[in-house]
Amino acid sequence: MKIITTENLTKIYTDGKVEVIALKNVNLEIHSGEFIVVAGPSGSGKTTLLNLIGGLDKPTDGKVYFEGKDITTIKRDELADLRLKKIGFIFQAYNLIPVLTVFENVEIPLVLLKVDEKRRREMVMEILTKLGISELANKRPNEISGGQQQRVAVARAIITNPTLVLADEPTAHLDSKTGGMLIDIMQKMNSERKITFVICSHDPQVIQRAGRLIRLRDGMIEDDKKLW
Amino acid sequence: MILKLAWRNIWRNKRRTLVVLISIIVSVVVLMLLDTLSIGMLKQMLDNQISLHISHIQIHKNGYKDDKTVKNYISDELTVEKTIKEIEEVKSYSKRVISYGLINSAYNSSGIIIVGIQPDKEKSITIISNLIIEGKYIERNGEILISKKLAQKLKTEIGDKLVLMASDIDGNVASEVFRVVGIFESPHSEFDKTHIYITISDAQRMLKIDKIIEFALILKDQKYVNVVKEKISKKIGNPYEVLTYAEVVPFIGIIIDMYKQLIWIYYLIFGVAVVFGIINIMLMSVFERMREFGVLKAIGMKNKNIFSLIVLESFIIGVLGTVIGIIIGFALYIPLSKYGIDLGIFAESLAWFGSGRVIYPVLTWFTLFLLFVTMPFIAILGAIYPALKSTKFEPVEALKHI
Repeated sequence: MKIITTENLTKIYTDGKVEVIALKNVNLEIHSGEFIVVAGPSGSGKTTLLNLIGGLDKPTDGKVYFEGKDITTIKRDELADLRLKKIGFIFQAYNLIPVLTVFENVEIPLVLLKVDEKRRREMVMEILTKLGISELANKRPNEISGGQQQRVAVARAIITNPTLVLADEPTAHLDSKTGGMLIDIMQKMNSERKITFVICSHDPQVIQRAGRLIRLRDGMIEDDKKLW
Repeated sequence: MILKLAWRNIWRNKRRTLVVLISIIVSVVVLMLLDTLSIGMLKQMLDNQISLHISHIQIHKNGYKDDKTVKNYISDELTVEKTIKEIEEVKSYSKRVISYGLINSAYNSSGIIIVGIQPDKEKSITIISNLIIEGKYIERNGEILISKKLAQKLKTEIGDKLVLMASDIDGNVASEVFRVVGIFESPHSEFDKTHIYITISDAQRMLKIDKIIEFALILKDQKYVNVVKEKISKKIGNPYEVLTYAEVVPFIGIIIDMYKQLIWIYYLIFGVAVVFGIINIMLMSVFERMREFGVLKAIGMKNKNIFSLIVLESFIIGVLGTVIGIIIGFALYIPLSKYGIDLGIFAESLAWFGSGRVIYPVLTWFTLFLLFVTMPFIAILGAIYPALKSTKFEPVEALKHI
């Protein structure tokens, strides 16, 4: 089943009189259950592609369809709803809310979805246990390691059981062992929960685990290979 | 969760929050003292006017208010008295004969208002009998009670003789000699300069009338004035004017009205000062947390939730400052309301206003309501612009923010 379809997706940034083409006529289809790695050098347009697919940014030209619906023209609140219910984000810098505990950080999307408190507690503890960080539930982000923070970010991204998880350089700030463990977790969630992952990375150990590898260069797809 | 998030965000930068919190606390305390002291002063001014001479209700012949001469006497005193006795809200009443006149001593003279009273009954109407600082209260004919100010002007002491002069009912100049038996001092210096007391029978004899000029009434409660006025007016009808204290001394009503408008200016001044503090810290807070807002937006938080979060943070600071301010305000108010504040340095002007030099602050429900509402409202107002700002960022821009 097609989750994402992009049509001639183009993004041009304007800095004064200078125009920078970040993405140019990208046509892409993403299917349910895929484990995609988008690779490419810095400035190739990986993050831009991810932001456009996730509805965090608007394209200069072209369309993005999420489950058949054009998300480039819908209203902000509708987009927020879509992200809340269908898309999870994992960022390079973890981006946890520092004043909230691990438990509360993971709980936010469920609060926004108005899930009742008892059910929230069960769901959060279940995911934290699955990711091996249940003992950190009451700690604040600054009290745990980078690897642990990124696992919390994964928990937050998948707590609502989204259709799609978008991860932007998730291992960039982690050592190779921790990075490998994180990829294990994401792959496990992909196979167990059938969550589609699109991961931007130039980390070789991430690239070698890709189920489908898309290579970007200068804002265009250079190569798109299904590996498993 | 939103409340928890708001509460913790407030304490991220403790120093910054404390600065605004202190400004709110100080504003609430100052406003509370300012407002309660002003109300206390006005209340004392009014109470003094009522208890010194005005009473709650005065009854005269119709037209006396505009032409205060002896010819405007109450012709049917018995009917009016019978009516007063029938009204249950009336606590006590007294009859008076009042006239303008001149008082002379061996050294000086002064224009005055002669008040002929029923000495015993007047005790339940005014506090003059309690204000004697020298000598005694008048009891019988031939005695006169004057103020300390007048005694100084006339260079008179207890036991001295004074001559009163006034126009009698026929327009002839009448004069009579009285012996000073008491000297009083009231909180109202202007009153003291002009009022002297003799017995009602002395006043009647001197002015050659066997009638009275005024009934002064004290009610069981001040709140009944309009009800009682209506009841009496209905029964005794047009030949008489029934005046409440507010009609007798309208300038007090004007001062109270003026104050009611002035207090909004006080609140406005403090509100403006606080609102800029709030805008300042909330804007700083929003710009510092821009990346977090980007994250929250990315995970599906809507702009209205982010807007509410900022406003809620500011509102909590407003409520917290108000509650602490009111607690401190109460800690100051309670002893002050019991012992008063001696504003001796303003004694002269306070005496002119008739409020007395020791002011007892009075806290009303309205003041309490205003104090409770103002700063939280100001806090919400101050948070609107920063909160709007936070909703303007696109998530992708906010996520790039360091």
